[in-house]
Amino acid sequence: METTAPLLELHDVAKRFGGIQALSGIDFDVRRGEVHALVGENGAGKSTMMKILAGVLPDYQGTMVWQGRPLRLRNPRHALDLGIAMIHQELSVMPELTVAENIFLGRQPLRGGVVDWPRMFREAEAILAELGFGHVNVREPLERYPLGVHQLTEIARALTSGAELIIMDEPTSALSPMETRHLLELTRNLARAGKAVVYISHFLEEVTWVADRVTVLRDGRKIATLDARKTNKQELVRLMLGKEAAFFEESYMGGRTVEDRHAASEPVLVVEGLTRPRTFTDVRLELHPGEILGLYGLIGSGHFELGEAVYGLIKPTAGRILLEGRPVGIGPRRAIDRGVAYVPPSRRTGLFLEKPIYQNVTLPWLAQMSGLVPRVPREIAVTDGVIHRVGVRPPDPLKEVVFLSGGNQQKVAIARWLVEPPKVFVVSEPTRGMDVGAKEEVMKILRELSQAGVGVLLISSEPETVLAASERILVMAKGRIVREFVGETVTKERLLHAAAGELAEAR
Amino acid sequence: MANEPHDSPNPSGCWRTFLAKSREFAPVWTLLALILFFSVYSDSFLTLENAANILNQVALLAIMGTGITFVLLTAQIDLSVSYMATFAGVVAAYYTAGHLPQPWPIVAALLAAGALGWINGVGTARLGIPSFMVTLAMSLIASGLSLYLTRGRILFDLPPLSETLGSGRILGVKWLVLVAALTLLVGHLVLRYTRFGRYVYMTGANPKAAELAGVNTRGVITAVMVIGALTAGLAGVVGIGRLGSATPTAFDGMLIDAIGAVVLGGTSLFGGVGGIPQTIVGLLILGVLRNGLDQVSVDIYMKTLITGVILLAALVFNILFAGRKEA
Repeated sequence: METTAPLLELHDVAKRFGGIQALSGIDFDVRRGEVHALVGENGAGKSTMMKILAGVLPDYQGTMVWQGRPLRLRNPRHALDLGIAMIHQELSVMPELTVAENIFLGRQPLRGGVVDWPRMFREAEAILAELGFGHVNVREPLERYPLGVHQLTEIARALTSGAELIIMDEPTSALSPMETRHLLELTRNLARAGKAVVYISHFLEEVTWVADRVTVLRDGRKIATLDARKTNKQELVRLMLGKEAAFFEESYMGGRTVEDRHAASEPVLVVEGLTRPRTFTDVRLELHPGEILGLYGLIGSGHFELGEAVYGLIKPTAGRILLEGRPVGIGPRRAIDRGVAYVPPSRRTGLFLEKPIYQNVTLPWLAQMSGLVPRVPREIAVTDGVIHRVGVRPPDPLKEVVFLSGGNQQKVAIARWLVEPPKVFVVSEPTRGMDVGAKEEVMKILRELSQAGVGVLLISSEPETVLAASERILVMAKGRIVREFVGETVTKERLLHAAAGELAEAR
Repeated sequence: MANEPHDSPNPSGCWRTFLAKSREFAPVWTLLALILFFSVYSDSFLTLENAANILNQVALLAIMGTGITFVLLTAQIDLSVSYMATFAGVVAAYYTAGHLPQPWPIVAALLAAGALGWINGVGTARLGIPSFMVTLAMSLIASGLSLYLTRGRILFDLPPLSETLGSGRILGVKWLVLVAALTLLVGHLVLRYTRFGRYVYMTGANPKAAELAGVNTRGVITAVMVIGALTAGLAGVVGIGRLGSATPTAFDGMLIDAIGAVVLGGTSLFGGVGGIPQTIVGLLILGVLRNGLDQVSVDIYMKTLITGVILLAALVFNILFAGRKEA
């Protein structure tokens, strides 16, 4: 394999977005018969690099060489014509159409100007059999099949269009363990058949299994290209984070012992065997009064959906959610009345940007605060109290939320739940996109709440957020809780490692 | 993996305020401009008598428009209101002809309209059919019921109360105008000062956020569809008194004007913004325009075209500014 010339090479490639250097000095190559994996943290530059390879970003610095000849991709169509196909994270299939139509989308074989259905079915069957999925009926609508087959359809589409280089972006993030195995084997087979594959994934276990070589990116730079058989998860995580980072991100554990509190109190929230297909599986957790429980997972791990389930927004198919021993029930109203508060991961979802702060704050409490006619002066007084407590600037209850900065908008979303202190506070991604000062203020509010006896479920895909406030951390991956950290020092490195590495246990 | 946009203060704060203000007041300027224009070009326009005339002309629209304001504020629409009005008028006349004791024909008419509105609401809020489609189907149902009950004929037996409210006067003022004013007033008080009114605005502004804050958004939407139907029913019940008869198509043609007036006033088609004061301005714009075009010597066959162009301009305006809405 070492002897074959690279199919595609990048030499000293760089890309800027406005003031941000997304990539710099990237040298990269991929050969026929090889799976070359690309790993790195969110924001390390994987997406940017992939978009350059697929012709989505034509204005980069540096050189791309295809089969020994320098060239510049003009657009995705150009890349596709050369034989570079990309399998997207979000699938681009049409579930209502047949499997065969999806494979030949936009280039169905024609005869006399109309689609040659027999030929299309025949060729679709042939390619699927080649990929080891001969049991799939290509005449059936794609929606009858699980997501693994949707992914497969995209790969078949790439192959029938004559792709030589296939770029896969997080192909397994939505797949079940079984489907993941099939896909990984299929990927190996593609390489064996002489195709080149660029494989991008958060799941390092998969990467070390499927890849021949692994390239690690960090902060837009290439850190290393390693032989996949000679490396391991620990080394990859260390390279992805950099030493300093691992050292820096110490967790907030000292002082209080979790065991003491657990012995002293009944859990306020108990989740038992919670399951919802394609969302989460057999999730079990206990939240105690006065505790901040961190729930960490990579995007798509089902942790945000778990928060929604606790608030009654989505219905599990199995399992129970008990608040002080009784089921919470369906719908936000019931959850609020039982003392559950919820802040969604996106501020835009939870706030009325065009309405004044006080209307945002008091909406859940209007019925309790007054009769049929809300008393605005009272609303303003109550709002004034809670926004001063969380430090909204400017602290003007009449100001529309849209005029506040993101951090202050988030504080409004939290302040709403201080009107009637909750028993359980579910906060998703409370500090996303904030500067350090605003982050620290939000964390302080959460700690104060927990000291006042509120059970806080802190859900995030940012390791720093979870580490900054949690006393106990659960890690979710592919819908399951794969790891619990209690009473020990946790670093960002260990957290990421648990989320990306311990899939073996989940299977 | 793309770079998350970070906190940024609002550089466009002044611009936003400006847009918000111009959006709020543009309909008022339009109204004043129209009044000025017609006052200059017609001697008969700016008289007390003509002003009373205009009020009388828009009174039925005002009753209907009150309910439509509720519906639009939740970002829904009701295309069946005018047919509901016709239907309610037919029901009131039908049972009066059938010698049902008064005021039961009127009660029956309002209940029937309310029931159809409830079906609109359930179809929209529970079943998730776009209100556009549900109410389109309902317009046919209401229209069909009117035809079925009348067998296509005109009914002349009207409830006495309808005749009084539709064409009577008290202290020199038409009852019809008073009923319209009262409907607008009640609508305004409910929207502006009650908890339900707040829920209506918040549901329209961001339905998902309202749901997350524990608002029963489906209930709110069902309720506004019923309110829309009830005010349409009321318009029909007093409307037959004004016409002196109930025909199976009496008020069908009012749909465009009724929705148009509400939107002209500045109530957003996307929900959450607007209210009864805006609707009043919109009604007056439409009333002044219709009345004024009669006073000045415009080609009679141009009138509809001009009204249409002005309505379109107002809609474009509405969409342009609604596009600024986040959420």
